[in-house]
Amino acid sequence: MPCLQASSPGSMPYQHHGRGVGCAAEAGAAVGASAGTGTRCGAHDGEVPAEAARHHEHAAPGPGRCCSAVVQRVAAPAEAVWSVVRRFDQPQAYKRFVRSCALLAGDGGVGTLREVRVVSGLPAASSRERLEVLDDESHVLSFRVVGGEHRLQNYLSVTTVHPSPAAPDAATVVVESYVVDVPPGNTPEDTRVFVDTIVKCNLQSLATTAEKLALAAV
Amino acid sequence: MAEICCEEAKSTPATAVAAASVSATAAAAAAVAVASSALERRRRRLEMRRFRVASDPEELVAEDVRAAKRQRLARTLSGSCPDAGSDSDRPALPRYGVTSVCGRRREMEDTVSIRPDFLPGTSKHNFFGVFDGHGCSHVATMCQDNMHEVVADEHTKAASGEETAWKGVMERSFSRLDEQAASWATSRSRDEPACRCEQQMPLRCDHVGSTAVVAVVSPSHVVVANAGDSRAVLSRGGVPVPLSVDHKPDRPDELARIEAAGGRVIYWDGARVLGVLAMSRAIGDRYLKPFVSSEPEVTVTERTDDDECLILASDGLWDVVTNEMACEVVRACFRSNGPPAPAARPNGVALPAAGAGAEDGSAVVKGVGKEDSDKACSDAAMLLAKLALARRSADNVSVVVVDLRRGI
Repeated sequence: MPCLQASSPGSMPYQHHGRGVGCAAEAGAAVGASAGTGTRCGAHDGEVPAEAARHHEHAAPGPGRCCSAVVQRVAAPAEAVWSVVRRFDQPQAYKRFVRSCALLAGDGGVGTLREVRVVSGLPAASSRERLEVLDDESHVLSFRVVGGEHRLQNYLSVTTVHPSPAAPDAATVVVESYVVDVPPGNTPEDTRVFVDTIVKCNLQSLATTAEKLALAAV
Repeated sequence: MAEICCEEAKSTPATAVAAASVSATAAAAAAVAVASSALERRRRRLEMRRFRVASDPEELVAEDVRAAKRQRLARTLSGSCPDAGSDSDRPALPRYGVTSVCGRRREMEDTVSIRPDFLPGTSKHNFFGVFDGHGCSHVATMCQDNMHEVVADEHTKAASGEETAWKGVMERSFSRLDEQAASWATSRSRDEPACRCEQQMPLRCDHVGSTAVVAVVSPSHVVVANAGDSRAVLSRGGVPVPLSVDHKPDRPDELARIEAAGGRVIYWDGARVLGVLAMSRAIGDRYLKPFVSSEPEVTVTERTDDDECLILASDGLWDVVTNEMACEVVRACFRSNGPPAPAARPNGVALPAAGAGAEDGSAVVKGVGKEDSDKACSDAAMLLAKLALARRSADNVSVVVVDLRRGI
């Protein structure tokens, strides 16, 4: 049953150009208080494009949790974008802040475990991540953070890649959504601002990378 | 021994003021004695490493790896004066010392630039800069290579001898370096060595930045320009005078500026812009514009006969050593080395030329050679770095000490 208390903003542009606060609608206290197991979260309705929405559905985050979704438009075909996103063993191909990545288990398929070491200046040193979903048909990738030196507990991320309805052969819409615990001492909004900043930076880098790939292929 | 000295220094707050002064002085003096002999041994090791460069570069690399693993104190000095000529014709050198150590971090991302007499047509202006990189080292290296030239260029354009012109000169210089950082990947010349992050993902270095604390020392004034959380401190009559104020995101005026621009300061392992970066101003970091600004705060301080020294250092020092302690250490080193020596170095004591480090352009300190430094200042810089490491600084540590005493 849809969570009626969630705000439902009207149609919004897909690409967020600002560097300010995150794009998530508020999953307010009322939503938190009324959330039960299995209740669907409606926080991203209106932001995640319809064709990708079903992959980003999840239970409403309860107290102490929060969620968000970041949308990025890329001027490159979906296949070019997906070829970069799907390389779980090579996050440095498009993600910033990666100093190095080592595989601890697996070879890039579901179940692969990677240890990412982070560059200096950030409030994190490393992140240990497990690949949960790699769907080459639907262009869906999901990973879970299972360890490392950082403050993000129980982080689960879903990334989808879809042709843009307006220009299916030349443009792509990438959505990355996540659910994560709110660290002690911080608010859900703090957490969304921090994580959205990192995710946005990575998706902007992905756009640049994929666009160059597409140009090179011409 | 450094640990014992530091323990003694730490007891200072518990004692009376007079006793505290004696205690701190004794601690610093004792540490100086230790540093002197340790310094001599380290110098010999450094010289041996220099000779080894010519015979076996791979062994040097292995030596560097071993040194890094041992987290040893290493002083890296290379490069020569750009206008090195006949010794008798060389302009008077500033009395300075410099130390830069990796410390407990796995990579060295600090750089230091010392450029004596760097303003064309204007004598006796010396440039000192400490740059503490984050995300990668290439922005700090770019500042090391270019900042003094940009400042000199802007100073020439200003065409004014008045000190008040320095604010504009520095603001324009920092802005130009910030633009260079943003376009670094596309405008970098082919022969420049690629840094680590470019090797992995060319053209995507928006997340890299650097602090910059810069001082121009003339016979009459000290000009300081700062963006970030490195710091410049003057010691005047035994009293520390801050010439810069750290740009921490929760500094009230910085917090107000960031929020007015639509940003947020979030406490995430300390106050951070958007929860990400622990400083509110820096060169580079394009992804955090406009919240992280490259505009420097500039101070112009008239020199006096009471001035003892200027200390420029990265936060690897200042996070664990107070301004007061730093000034006290320098004063103790000055006392133990006697009155300041003449600024010009005597002829006939040339040291071996710098090794391969200078040639690949990646030295941590650029603009001067080891033989140009002053012993008292070098002792002080070395001792301050050792103190920071002993107090378990978690960062790279870079320290420049400039002797401002008069009466040569």
